[in-house]
Order: sequence, then C-alpha cells, then structure tokens
Amino acid sequence: MNTTFILGLVILAIGVLSVAFVRPKTYVARLINLEIPAWGLLLVMLAYDEALAILTFVAVTAIGTFVIVRLLEWRDASC
Amino acid sequence: MIAGLEVAFGLIALAGAVSAALIRDSYGKLISLGILVAGVLPFIVDRGYLDVAVTVSLIAPIATIFVLMVARREES
Repeated sequence: MNTTFILGLVILAIGVLSVAFVRPKTYVARLINLEIPAWGLLLVMLAYDEALAILTFVAVTAIGTFVIVRLLEWRDASC
Repeated sequence: MIAGLEVAFGLIALAGAVSAALIRDSYGKLISLGILVAGVLPFIVDRGYLDVAVTVSLIAPIATIFVLMVARREES
C-alpha cells in the first residue's frame, strides 16, 4: 500500500481518538485537537491525487477554525 | 521519494500527531501542530503539487494565530 495513504489513516485515527477523549476537557484543547485529523484527511486526499479537493479543504478548515474561535470568544464574553 | 526521507518525514508527522494529542498545555499543543505540518508538507511537495504546498504553508500559520488568540485569552 501507499505510504501516504497509510500515514494519513494513522494520523486520522490518532486525531479522532484525541478529539473524542480530550484530556483537559476545555473547548480550546478540543479545537486544537480537531486540527490533527484534518491533516490526516489531507494526506488521504493526497494519496488519491485530488489537488482541487485539498485546496478547498485547507481553505474551508481555516475559515471554520476562524468561525469557531469567534464563537468561543463571544461565548466567553457573554457569560 | 527516497525511502529514508519518506520514513524520516513519516516519523516526524507521527511524532507531531502523538505529541499534540498527549500534551496538556495549549501552547505545547500548537507547537506540536507545527511539527505535524512540517512532517506532512514534504509529502505534498513530493507529489508535485506546489500550488497546494504554497496554500498550505500560508494558511496553516494563520489558523495557528487564530487559535493563539483564544489560548492567550483562556490563560489570562
């Protein structure tokens, strides 16, 4: 099997487990852990030669992180 | 890619992922995320997608800066 595919699947599994069982149970730790499976999924997409999908996925992940960060700041300010 | 380089960058990416999952400090998590990106990026370059590599290297630090704002606010 392809090295990129295997490495992507391993990083994806590590990231999903770390998001599910996050140790300091805070929103920030979970948000940072959420970026780990994104890189694993990027490697899996790379194994299938989907350049446009990778570009879109990276951009949307960054925008999604920005939205969640704004949401966390708003939630902390409100309570 | 050369087999030795492939193993080395794969190990760097794995070390970044495992340490980002296990470290409890927010700043430590962000630094480990940088190591993970550094391990993943050579695989993108090896495939020949230089446009994807440029986009990833520009966007990954921006996402880190966004998370850094929340981490600093949480600490204070």
